[in-house]
Amino acid sequence: MKIPGHAAATGASRRWQGEGPWAWLSAAAVALSLLMLGALLVLLATRGLGHFWPADLHQLRLADGQRLIGVPVETRQLPDDSGYERRYFTANRDHQGGIWTWVAEDAIEQDRTPNDLIVLQRGRWGAFFGRLVAVVTETERFGGDRAWQALRQRLDHLEELRQQSESLRRDHILPLIRQMERMKEHSRLSEQLTELEQQALTLQRAMTGTVLVLETADGKRFEQPLESVLDAWHPNSMGSVEKLAHWSRGVWQFLSEGPRDANAAGGVWPAIFGTVLMVMLMSLLVTPFGVLAAVYLNEVAHQGRLTRWVRIGVRNLAGVPSIVYGVFGLGVFVYGIGGSLDRLFYADTLPSPTFGTGGLLWASLTLALLTLPVVIVATEEGLARIPLHQREGALALGATHFETLTRVVLPMATPAMLTGVILAVARAAGEVAPLMLVGVAKLAPQVPVDGEFPFLHLERKFMHLGYHIYDAAFHSNDVQAALPLVYATALLLVLVILVLNLTAIFLRHYLRLRHGVPVRR
Amino acid sequence: MPEPVPFSSLHRHRQRRDRLATALITAGGVGVLLAVLAIGIFLVTGVLPLFLSDNGPSLTALWQPQANVDGVVEYRWLPESLKGGGIPQVNLLPLVWGTLEAALWALVLAIPLALGAAAHSSLFMSPRLRHRIRPTLELMEAMPSVVLGFIAGLVLGPWVERHLAETFTVIAALPLGILLVAGLRRCLPGAIRHWLSLRWAALWLIPCLAGSVIVALWGASYWENLWFDGDLRAWIEIHLGLDVQARNALILGLAMGFAVMPGIYALAEDALSDVPKELCEGAQAMGATRWQTLTKVMLPVALPGIFSAVMIGAGRAVGETMIVLMASGNTALMSANPLDGLRSLASSIAIELPEAVMGSSHYRLLLLAALALFIFTFVVNTLAEVVRSRLRQRLVRQRSMR
Repeated sequence: MKIPGHAAATGASRRWQGEGPWAWLSAAAVALSLLMLGALLVLLATRGLGHFWPADLHQLRLADGQRLIGVPVETRQLPDDSGYERRYFTANRDHQGGIWTWVAEDAIEQDRTPNDLIVLQRGRWGAFFGRLVAVVTETERFGGDRAWQALRQRLDHLEELRQQSESLRRDHILPLIRQMERMKEHSRLSEQLTELEQQALTLQRAMTGTVLVLETADGKRFEQPLESVLDAWHPNSMGSVEKLAHWSRGVWQFLSEGPRDANAAGGVWPAIFGTVLMVMLMSLLVTPFGVLAAVYLNEVAHQGRLTRWVRIGVRNLAGVPSIVYGVFGLGVFVYGIGGSLDRLFYADTLPSPTFGTGGLLWASLTLALLTLPVVIVATEEGLARIPLHQREGALALGATHFETLTRVVLPMATPAMLTGVILAVARAAGEVAPLMLVGVAKLAPQVPVDGEFPFLHLERKFMHLGYHIYDAAFHSNDVQAALPLVYATALLLVLVILVLNLTAIFLRHYLRLRHGVPVRR
Repeated sequence: MPEPVPFSSLHRHRQRRDRLATALITAGGVGVLLAVLAIGIFLVTGVLPLFLSDNGPSLTALWQPQANVDGVVEYRWLPESLKGGGIPQVNLLPLVWGTLEAALWALVLAIPLALGAAAHSSLFMSPRLRHRIRPTLELMEAMPSVVLGFIAGLVLGPWVERHLAETFTVIAALPLGILLVAGLRRCLPGAIRHWLSLRWAALWLIPCLAGSVIVALWGASYWENLWFDGDLRAWIEIHLGLDVQARNALILGLAMGFAVMPGIYALAEDALSDVPKELCEGAQAMGATRWQTLTKVMLPVALPGIFSAVMIGAGRAVGETMIVLMASGNTALMSANPLDGLRSLASSIAIELPEAVMGSSHYRLLLLAALALFIFTFVVNTLAEVVRSRLRQRLVRQRSMR
């Protein structure tokens, strides 16, 4: 049967199967958002993880006779459209000034990947690309094929010595120095210190002595003292299993070591540590207060106009810019409370501030204030979801309000609180702007936890993953060189936050299932 | 008759504990709310001396253009001029302008994306997909702004600077590509057409979008050569007299739109889902298409909710710091050119406050900037929340009347 009006209504839109172009454009809006999110994640993952993969070294001979060894990084069109040019990472900062070389594609006469090229990771001057000619110790000279074997052996030995020296410094010398600073009488201690320093010197001396003879791409030979070499590998002759092992070692070093070269190289361990510590302190502060405020609003306060306005106020505090919280933290916590603490308890060290400058405690407090609305809103949602008859049942059995709260209501609302805290942690972990005002440091020489009383140093500045990204990306000498590590750090931060958020999402889902309440969209 | 003693003492003990706990909870709750109020009070007391003292910059200097040393009358933000003893050139207008411009470009991207996505997911999308999309977009909202700022400022910005023509072509090609795909789909045999349904379009359109991006990138140099002598950037700089910066308002808008979009989407979708089902079903029974139902029936009802969603998005865009800091170039300009840099209130605070001496005019000026942000976002958010809860109440009342 045909309805007369129906044909007229769909006549115009028949071409679009009844819905018109806008329906498709709106679908494209979802698709585009997903595409952008996916592209962002893929970009971070490939660039962040790809950096640790030992890429093949290319040896080039150019038309003008120049030779170079490098890893191709990117290809760009020449400005006058006459072809393409390629950027090579050629390392060897000490020999050619820069670490990048632009080469026009047409100028490349020969492009090979010989097996004998090596990469050295050095403490100073960054990486080296070239050939190993010989390893010269005080007694012997290893040339040819034996050179690589000798280098590997010496490097392993060197690593052992380094660890010994580091543990000597960290576990014996530094505590002793701190002890001496505190005590008046230290003739006995200074003897001990001299002895320890002697040991350290012996270790230092054991590291020196071996010299590598290296050859750069253009055949120039030079000597490189072994003690400043951190690692060595020959990517072109590595199999994929070896490369994978090298890759995982690189990722592990990135996660477990401190930064080098003004944050442009090395790892992010202090930043991970600082972020986790700060977030933990923050959740310790925000959970009780957030839950308390939510319980007050939902269970205790009279549900009138005022409570509704307060609720709107709290909800909207989540929308106040984070930088405003940072200003508040700086003005009230750092200058106000911190300044007073300094005048009262640390007057002898003034004018150099102890608590009167940004630090771990103030950063955690500021972020706790910032994430308070998140916890309050989530907990309140959980409390509101608990059916009234549960409370009435408890009260009818003779429980007081407090007993009802602690035995019935709060246990049922636990997943909601947990969701709130996890969301707060995720928000705090990614927040950088307020931290720039209240205590994050570009490079913190000491982590805020050590073996010295009171073990946790709340007044110290700390490093943060998010700020590390900002700093390495914008304040390093060579942004291009720092870029791979910035990608890796960004990937790490995003992964942490994604995992936290996914946990919160699953918790909330579980919560809805358990209470059998239909999903409220 | 007196109650048995042990019970009574226990009872009294419990009663006392209950009262104590209630008092403590009340104190804690009220304390938290007071702490929240303290932000506003602190900012106001911090800013007031600026207006009360005589040696600071005058009020008019903050809003009116001032003559500089060369006698040129301009809007300038030069906080160093407060120290030198010369004419203080601390005009807040360029910063306010930058803030609003950045937010505007963010909304230009975020509003169509978010509202389109909300419309699609509440009307056409398969329920199974819809329950997955929402958490996915929540993840998108959780992306740390420092990462977005880094991608925008260091990766996307320099690329766009070198590939202006490609960028504009991609922007134009995305909607055209989608319409082309929708048209092509009609010519397909029924089985495939059924498989490529509108219900799942959000997924199978992704490769189509990626395809149109690739085609656009490939074809862009063709018309760039044809119309702009092979260099659009030079053409813009010469013929339009516009400056092209690597870190500009457009890039900034893209990154910030990405950050703001999921929030607007979630609230707008809530607003659309709260529209009573009977209204939509009635409209569809009268022969309206789903899109007509949306524009003629659902939108008028959900408009306050959508408005509040956009307001909350605007509040977030105005206060965003890290993205602006990293992707805007931080030059305090008053130019409407979207390819030029800008400096916002929030990023000025982040850059300058650590260096400003506490209690100085510069410090107080930055507090004033923070206060302006605080008031703006608080007013916008409260307004949005009030509008939203009014709408909810009205809908609930209508439902209970029926």
